[in-house]
Formats: sequence, structure tokens, C-alpha cells
Amino acid sequence: MTTRRLGDASVRRGLRLIFRMLFRYRREAVASVLFALGWMVMTVAGPFLQKVVIDRAIVGERRDLLAPLVGAVLAVGAGRALGIAGRRYFAFRVSYRAETDLRNRIFEHIQRLTFSYHDRTATGELMARASSDLSQVRLIYAMLPITVANVVMFGVVGGLLVALDPVLGAVALAAIPALLGLAVVYARVVLETSFEVQERLADMATVVQEGVGGIRVTKAFGREMAEVARVEAVADGIFAKTMQLIGKRAAYVPVFELIPSAAAVAVLWIGGLRVIGGAMTLGDFVAFSQYMVILVFPLRITGFFFAELPRAAAAASRVVELLRTAPDIVDAPDAGPMPPGNGEVRFCHVGFSYPDGPPVLEDVDLRIPAGSAVAVVGSTGSGKTTLAYLVPRFYDPSRGQVLIDGVDVRRIRLDDLRSAVAVVFEEPFLFSATIRDNIAFGAPDAGDDQVRLAARLAQAHDFIVELPDGYDTVVGERGLSLSGGQRQRIALARAMIRDPRVLILDDATSSVDAVTEAEIRDALRTVMAGRTTIIIAHRVSTLALAEKVVLIDEGRVLATGTHRELLASVPRYREVLAEVSPGEEVAP
Amino acid sequence: MMYARYGADDRVERPLRLIRRAVALGRDLRWPATGALVAAVVATVARLAGPLVVRTGVDEGIRVADPGVVTRASILYLALLVVQYGTSRAAMYAVTLVGERYLRRLRVVVYRHLMGLDLGFFGRTKSGVLVSRMTSDMEALTTFADEGAISVLTSVLTVLGVGVGLFVTDPGLAWLVMALLPLLVAASLVFRRYADRAYRQVREQIGLVLGALQEGISGVRVVQAYTQEPGQQERFGRVNERYYEANLQAARAISTYFPAVDLLRTVGTAIVLFVGGGRVLDGTLTFGSLIAFLLYLNWFFEPIVQLSNVYNLAQGALAALSKLFGLLDRTPAVVEAADPRPLPEPVRGELVFDGVTFGYDPDVPVVRGLDLRVAPGSRVAVVGETGAGKSTLAKLAVRFYDPQEGRVLLDGIDLRDIGFVSLRRHVALVPQEGFLFDGSLRYNIAYARPEMSDEEVWEVCRTLGIDDWVRSLPERLDTDVRERGGRLSSGERQLVSLARALAADPALIVLDEATSNLDPESEAQVERALGVLLEGRTAIVIAHRLRTAERADRVVVMDAGRVVEDGTFAELVAAGGAFTHLRSVWEQAESVWGDGGGGSSGR
Ligand SMILES: Nc1ncnc2c1ncn2[C@@H]1O[C@H](COP(=O)(O)OP(=O)(O)OP(=O)(O)O)[C@@H](O)[C@H]1O
Ligand SMILES: Nc1ncnc2c1ncn2[C@@H]1O[C@H](COP(=O)(O)OP(=O)(O)OP(=O)(O)O)[C@@H](O)[C@H]1O
Ligand SMILES: [Mg+2]
Ligand SMILES: [Mg+2]
Repeated sequence: MTTRRLGDASVRRGLRLIFRMLFRYRREAVASVLFALGWMVMTVAGPFLQKVVIDRAIVGERRDLLAPLVGAVLAVGAGRALGIAGRRYFAFRVSYRAETDLRNRIFEHIQRLTFSYHDRTATGELMARASSDLSQVRLIYAMLPITVANVVMFGVVGGLLVALDPVLGAVALAAIPALLGLAVVYARVVLETSFEVQERLADMATVVQEGVGGIRVTKAFGREMAEVARVEAVADGIFAKTMQLIGKRAAYVPVFELIPSAAAVAVLWIGGLRVIGGAMTLGDFVAFSQYMVILVFPLRITGFFFAELPRAAAAASRVVELLRTAPDIVDAPDAGPMPPGNGEVRFCHVGFSYPDGPPVLEDVDLRIPAGSAVAVVGSTGSGKTTLAYLVPRFYDPSRGQVLIDGVDVRRIRLDDLRSAVAVVFEEPFLFSATIRDNIAFGAPDAGDDQVRLAARLAQAHDFIVELPDGYDTVVGERGLSLSGGQRQRIALARAMIRDPRVLILDDATSSVDAVTEAEIRDALRTVMAGRTTIIIAHRVSTLALAEKVVLIDEGRVLATGTHRELLASVPRYREVLAEVSPGEEVAP
Repeated sequence: MMYARYGADDRVERPLRLIRRAVALGRDLRWPATGALVAAVVATVARLAGPLVVRTGVDEGIRVADPGVVTRASILYLALLVVQYGTSRAAMYAVTLVGERYLRRLRVVVYRHLMGLDLGFFGRTKSGVLVSRMTSDMEALTTFADEGAISVLTSVLTVLGVGVGLFVTDPGLAWLVMALLPLLVAASLVFRRYADRAYRQVREQIGLVLGALQEGISGVRVVQAYTQEPGQQERFGRVNERYYEANLQAARAISTYFPAVDLLRTVGTAIVLFVGGGRVLDGTLTFGSLIAFLLYLNWFFEPIVQLSNVYNLAQGALAALSKLFGLLDRTPAVVEAADPRPLPEPVRGELVFDGVTFGYDPDVPVVRGLDLRVAPGSRVAVVGETGAGKSTLAKLAVRFYDPQEGRVLLDGIDLRDIGFVSLRRHVALVPQEGFLFDGSLRYNIAYARPEMSDEEVWEVCRTLGIDDWVRSLPERLDTDVRERGGRLSSGERQLVSLARALAADPALIVLDEATSNLDPESEAQVERALGVLLEGRTAIVIAHRLRTAERADRVVVMDAGRVVEDGTFAELVAAGGAFTHLRSVWEQAESVWGDGGGGSSGR
């Protein structure tokens, strides 16, 4: 982990983001600062009035002045209360508004970042950006107005103190730089450790998330205690780091409280002697003491603000980093709508590799005529899924082009492209929502009829109506309260309802039994009519849906042709289908 | 505050009992806790003595022009500051020590309990909720311990001490100030009512925000594939906005209450100035007392404000405690027997379902009156339509769930009587929903037996025929497979899951569609490997493929939670029942030469 200082470029960017958001809500921010300044003036005026009460009315023995002067004290107090109310309310508004907006922006951005980004970024990491980092940033907005007022107050009170008594004023004022200096030192001392604590806490979230997500595996192997040990290790880490942090904090924080008190001692001592010496009135002395009291809290807050600022800036810089990560797949400036056509798909000498791996596709050259169905076959890890992902531009090829109806997919607007291409993922992901919402996910305006039709086509209707709440049944997280085949059929229905020009089925019936699959196949024949379909499958039965089979091997198209042609002429094809020779298959 | 508070947040019932229970868990920490208490008391007393010293300095020093007293008072004050520093520091440290020790324990206790809960519980509970139990709820307690506990203590002490100080200084004035207390209490009660509601809202909404966030991230690929980004953003925006509203509601309560308290303080000051000032003029009150009174007054209200600040933290801590204890109070539906029996070695692996009925919801049985005997060392294939209950059978076989009726026996012993360690050691399941941990391949393969040597891990890979593939990876066994194995293809993930199960070296293995995403070639290779590895072991293999059924010693056909047919492949084919039909569908489906159209195999 690298130490972050206020001077770092990324931290500076974080600060800039903080200020940009502040500028957006400048009306509330200014209101809050104005209220804070009002509060400050009243706060300063309070002791001054008290001094007047004491000097004029009490020491000066003017009983008649007592009532009006105390009335003034009350009026000032009322003003002060108003100041607090406005300051707090508007500061909250700014801070929550900024937090909410930033969170929306983060979410929006996460939704736009492409597969390759999500491949390498853990969920917990992104969660942290939108939660704990933003809380950190919000704190700054909440504290900014009062800090501005406080800094002004230091000037005003400092001036007053010096005006009251230059010598004592100078002594009392020494507390201010001392405190601010201490705040800076403090920030430097604890910052690194507090980051480390923060990281350990984030680790806890990650470990628990994994432990809970993998609970079936953990239970299956009786490794619960190993998972507990993992948590225990993180808990130990949190404990050790927190104690290290508190060692430092406990050394410094009491000093923040003591510096103002030390100034009070100085006031008592030097001021007392000066009053005795006649250089100062008793009223001055009281006012002095009061001002010292007034300054205690602001001094502490200001110290705290400057201690938190670097942390917030670092948090903001992480947010900026995320927001500045440009999605690597965006609309080209000259991107147009889907070209007319029936969905001819062509791969022209396509090469692709994942960022940290060897080439997956080397040189794929393939034409899938419009409206036809092609099955893609290949061994595990041969790149079938990868190939399919290039069509809706989940990734862009490193070499060559993918064309739909003669147009490079990179020249088509993403939204249009993806609306025309529906993918059924090999691992169905269901949202924890109703079955209806899951099916209608890609077509939120779809009516009940359409949902049912899609479900029927996917052979899902029958089991859905048998569920306790039918289409309104809420499925558990990731759809895990359904059986494997049920999940897949919902995912299939979700694609059907999109009515796409190109349909990609990535091993979409792998968990469905043969009988149901045969039914789905019959339904698919109707669905596929008039659209281009790419079927990735391992079962011969599914291959039967396709007019042509493409064999992918070592990043290339090894052969294309009908199933029978390939069987007859391509040994590798027979190998992948585990077919040595006909007739042997029944042998045990 | 990583996951903040999550899920519904009910009113905390019986806070006192909760606190007592929480305290009981940390009984052994009482000595450091007492130390912290003592240090905090001393620090507060030292702080409160300050104005008294100032009063002496003013009355007996400044007013009578005695510089010696002023100096002595100043030195005394300074000495008090030193004491205050030492004790504050000690108190801070000790409180954190106690708090963190306690939390460390609580984390482990809660997680251990969590890991012991049954899968039914995990199925019903969102993972985010559980994560938040272990993170934000714990952090709510930390925050309270760090910022609240001491604050409550010193604030209460300060209020009491200052109260005493006020009365000692001048009882008459003190009574006047106390007359403000009912107002303060009333204001605080009103505030409490609003704040409670507002903060509960806040806690609830943040849960929704984080839930939406999490699903938005884990489902992002589907969202993009179906171009639902705008819809998702809008939905998230709405949830997020409600969270904002809830916060603003809380902000309104705070922005009203604190100025009100401040105004009361001013009123107190005005009363003291007016009445006290008059009495100084009358000569019934010393000037120093008046000043001390004014100083005290500040200190009287400050801690009350502090307490209101802390109130929110305390409320959050209580809510967290009640949720944590709620979790601890959950008894697992699947528990180890009081006197568990180990499986007698050597384990033969005979599995018997004896009249088993089970439903995830007890009212809706998924498996009904299931009878089945799996002979030791045999391989049984379970086939049947989707949703027939095959996976459920698998889960019952490894005791993820207990049947509502009937028994499952391994080597003649009811699974419920077998010790967990023994059971898990000898029985392995590859669940249908594969899951790889974010970590290296080695970590994942050796998951069941971390003590495995690299050589052994390679051996497993070799047998399974994946050693070449592993060798082709950039970092071989050290390759990080990423969250849920996202770095691998689906078939590769299944291979790793299989390797993990085989590495566990079980006597009974249950494969629930463990090869569904594999190409036939790899599958055949896996089958061969299983033939070697499973020699003499019992295997239950669930699959939708003809070959699996063919290779099994026995085939069991399930339908709607029942075994409808049971026998060898040949018997079932001959029987002309459900399986015969299934086989003909299969034949069509899998006959390579049939081109999908024809019937049985043939050229
Ligand atoms: N965790 C769960 N909670 C509630 N119901 C469940 C749960 N898991 C499965 N079910 C239901 O129980 C029934 C049987 O499911 P099971 O997973 O055993 O089917 P299966 O035979 O394995 O099907 P498939 O071949 O599709 O995997 C299904 O109707 C399913 O919806
Ligand atoms: N996100 C990723 N980052 C790096 N490598 C990846 C990623 N996804 C897949 N790979 C690798 O790329 C290769 C091709 O993967 P792909 O998922 O396309 O295979 P597949 O043909 O679909 O296999 P399967 O039949 O098992 O689904 C595999 O070796 C895999 O390990
Ligand atoms: Mg794939
Ligand atoms: Mg299943």
C-alpha cells in the first residue's frame, strides 16, 4: 500500500472532485457558511456582552443597566441558535446531496464499465467506493461550513483578545498555531495506520462474502472451521492494527483538549498578575476566560477537520480513479443504427486475448448467413464463449473485425447492437425479484401475455404456475431457490422476450433433462425461424438445431460443415464429441 | 462502514436485557474495564476541578491582590492538566482495548455460529445481510465503544460533577438553573421520538441502497447484455433518493434540537447574569462565584448536547446488538448429535434412504417417501426431469438438510448420529452450483485438505487430465481464479470443482451435474479418471446424459420427488417404462450418427 499525501496528483484530483461537487451545491453551501458566520459573530459577541454586563452593570454598580444588557445577551443567544440551525441544516443538505449524487454517478459508471473491467475488479472493492469512501467524503462537506466560520473566528477573537490586552492576547493566541500544528502532525502520524485499519475492515467484508457465497462448498467438505480461522485471522489483524492506532491516538487526542486548558492557565496566571498590577480590568479577565472557553470546541473541530481532510481526499481520489476509468467499449463517434438486414454475422480474421493471458482466438474467419443457425463446438476453454461475446461487443477483438449485416459492430450504436443481439449466458444469473420481473428484464414494458408466451417457449410456464406464487414468486439470491434446469429456462425466456435479430445460446440447456430439452428444441425451431442463431453446445441433440457446425480448435475455425460431414471427415470433431466409432457407444 | 446496516431494523426490544447479555459475554474483561472507568473518573474530576481553582485564584488572589495565590493556583491548575492528560490517555487506550478485545471475540463467536447454521438458513438470507452482520454491525459497536462509551461516562460524570459544583458554589443560583432542566428533558424526549424514527428509516434505507448496489454490480453483465442500464440507474436512483430523504429527515431533527439546547444554555446564562449580578451588587454573592458559575454553566450544557450526540450511536449499537444476538439465537436446523458416532473404519459407503420425505418448505414436500439403497462401492446414476428432486436427494445424502420423515443411513448409521468431522471426511458433494474461491488454483483444489503437497495436487490434476491445462496457465497452480472463478471458462470451473472433490479422497462422492458444461471429450476423460479414482468407492452421479446412465451400475429414475424406476441399465431398458422413453429421447439426442433426426444409433 502506498502512502498518500495531500500533494499526490491523485489526491489533488480527489480534492478537486470535492470542490466541484461543492460548487454544484453552492447555494446551500453558501447559505450554510453564512449561517455559520452569523453563528460565529453571535458566539463571539456573547462573551463580549457578558464582559459589558460585568464591567458596566456589576463592577460599575449600575443596576439599571443589568436588565437591558441581559436582554441583549438573550437576543444574541437567540441569533446564535438560529445560526446553528441554519448552519447544520444546510451543511447536512450539501453533504447528503453530494454523497447521493456521487453514489448515483458511481453506480452509473459501474453500469457502463465493460466486462474486462469487472473481470478484474472484486465486488467488495466497488461496494467500498460507493459506501465507506463516500461517507468519508461526506464528512468533509458536513464540516466545511463550520470550519470556515471557525477560521474566521480565530481571526476575530484573536483580534479582540489582542485589543483587550496585547500581552495576554499573544499568549492565548499561541494556542491556535499550536493546535493546528498538532493537527497536522497528528494527521501524518495516524493516517497510514488508520488506512490499514480501514483495509482490514474491508478484508473482513470480502472474507465473509466469500465464506457465505461458498457455504455449500465449505459445508460439503466440512471446512467450516477453516473459514472461521480465516475470519479469526482478519479479526486478529483488525485488533492489532486498531491497538496500534489507538496507541498513537491516545497520545495525541488528549493534547487537543489540553492546549486550550493550558492557555486558560496562562490566562489565569499572567492575566491574574496583570489585573493585580492594574494593567487589566476584572471584566477583561472574565471575557478572556470566556473566550478561551469559546475557542476550545472550534479549535478541536478544526484540528479534527484537518486531520480528516487527507483521508477524505484519499477516499475521493479513489472515487475519481473509478470515475475516470473510461469504459473501453463505447460508441464510436460515427456509430450508426443497426444496418438493415436479417442478421448475417461475419468474423473476419478475428484474434483475441484476455489482458493477462495467452491468445484465446488466433484467426477466426467465419460467415454465418442471415437467418441461419450455426452450432459452435470445441473443447472446454477453446474460446466458444469468448467468440460469442465479441458479437454484442462485450469485448472487442484485438485483431480483425466482427460484422453484422456487413457493418463492423464497432460502427453500430451499442444500445442498438445489444438490443438486436440476445445472449443467454452459460451461467444463468437471476435477480432476487419475481419470476415475471426476471423474464421481462430485457423488456420491462412487456405485458403478461408476452411473459407467458416467452415462458412457454422456454418450457418454463408449467413449472412456474406450480410455484406457490406463480409468476409472482420471488426467487432467492442468484435464483438459488430454483433447480438448475429451472433457472436456465427462466434465462432462456428472458432472451426470447427480446425478439432479437441474432440469438446466442451459450450452453443454455446444459442443466436441462433430455425430455425437456427436446421440447425446448421444438419450441426453438419456431423461435429461430428468421433469425440468426449461434448455438454453443456439447450435446449432439442441440447441434441438430443447427444447419451448420463450426469446430473451434486452438483459436481457429478448424472446420465447418454439417454435422455428418464433419463426423465423416474431421477426426478432431469425432474426438471432441468423444466418438471413437459408431456402435461402441452402448458398450459399458 | 463498509456495508452499513442492512435489512429491516425492528425496534429494539428490552434493551436492558440485551445489555446484560452483552456484558455477560465480556465478563473476563472486567479488570481492564474497571481500569478504564477509574481513569475516566479521575480525568473528569481533574477537569472539573479547574474552575474551582480559577475561582480560588480570582477570589483569594486577584480580588485581594495576592500574586502568590494566583501563582499557586496556576501551578495547581497545571498539575491538574498533567493528571488529566495521563488519565485521559490511559482511559482512551483501555476503553479501546476492552472494546476491541470484545469485538474480536464477538466476530469469531458470531461467525462460528454462522458457519454452523444450516443451508436452509443460507438459502433464506441474503448474503449481504450476513456480511453486514459481520462488518457494519460490528463497526456500529466499535464506533459506540470508541466515541460513545467514554463520552457517556464523562458526560454523565460531568453533569453530576458540575451539578454538585453549582450547588456548592451557590445553592440559590443552582436551583434557578435547575429549573431549566424540565424544559431540556422535554426537548430531549421530543427529539428522541423523531430521531428514533428518522434513524430507523436511515438504517433501513441504507440497507436497500447497498442491496441494490450489490445486485447491480454482480448482475452487471446481464444488465449490459439486455441494455437495461438506464432502467437500473433509474431504480437505483430512486432507492438512493429515498435514502437521502431519510437522512434529511434525521438532519431536520438534529438541526432543531441542538439550537434549542443552545438557546436554553443562553437562557441559563442570562438568568445567572441577571440574578447573580444583582446579588453581587447586593453583596450576597462573591464575584468569583459568579465567574465560576458562568464557567460551570458552559460545562453543564455541553455534556448534555454530547449525550444527545451519543444517543444516535447508542441506538445504532443497540440495534446492532439485537441483530447479532438474534443471529446467535438461531438454532441450526442441522445439528451434530449430542454423542456423535464416528463412522467405523474402513468406511464402506453404503447409503440408504429409508422412507425419506423432505421439503424446503415443510408443507411442500419435494422428495416424498423415498426408498433407495446404494450398495457399497457401486455407482448409481440418478436421472429425471428438471425439478424432479435430484439435487435435493444429493443434498440429503450429505446432510445439508435433514429429512422431515424417514432416515438417511450411511453404513447403517443414521446420518444424524454421525459426527460432522467423520461425515465430512468421508462424504463429498460437488454441488450443481459450482463455486470457486477467489484465490489460487492450489487453494481451490486443496480446499478439503490444505495440508496436501504440491506433488499431490499435481497428481490429482494428472489423473483428471487437467495437468496440461494447468501447466499452460501463466502462473500454473498459483494462478488466481478470481471471484467465483471468473478467470476460467465454465468447463474449466467444473474441472477444478471435480479436482477439489477428488482431492478430498472420500468414500462416498455425490456428483450433481458436475460435468454438465464439459465437452464430451473432456467428460469422457473425467469418466475414465473417475473410474480409476472411484475404484471401490460409492458414487451417486446425477446427469442428463445417456452415457452416465450407461456407465453406472444402477440407474434410478426420479419423478416428482419419487423413485419411479430403479435397476440396471439393461433392466430398465427392458422394462419399457419411463426410462425406456427417456432412453429413446436420449438416443435421438446423443446418437452422434443420427444427425438428431433419426432414432437409434446406426449409420
Ligand atoms: N433452496 C430451495 N428452496 C426452495 N425450493 C427449492 C430450493 N431448491 C430447489 N427447490 C425446488 O425443489 C424442487 C426440486 O429441485 P431440485 O433442485 O432437487 O431439482 P433437480 O431434480 O435437481 O432439477 P435440475 O435437473 O433442474 O437440477 C424444484 O421445484 C425447486 O424449485
Ligand atoms: N475473464 C477472463 N480473463 C482471462 N482469461 C479468461 C477469461 N475468461 C476466459 N478466459 C480463458 O480463455 C479461454 C477461453 O475461455 P472461454 O470461456 O471462451 O471457453 P469456452 O470455449 O466457452 O469453454 P467452456 O466450454 O468451458 O465454456 C479459457 O482458457 C479461459 O481460461
Ligand atoms: Mg463457455
Ligand atoms: Mg439439480
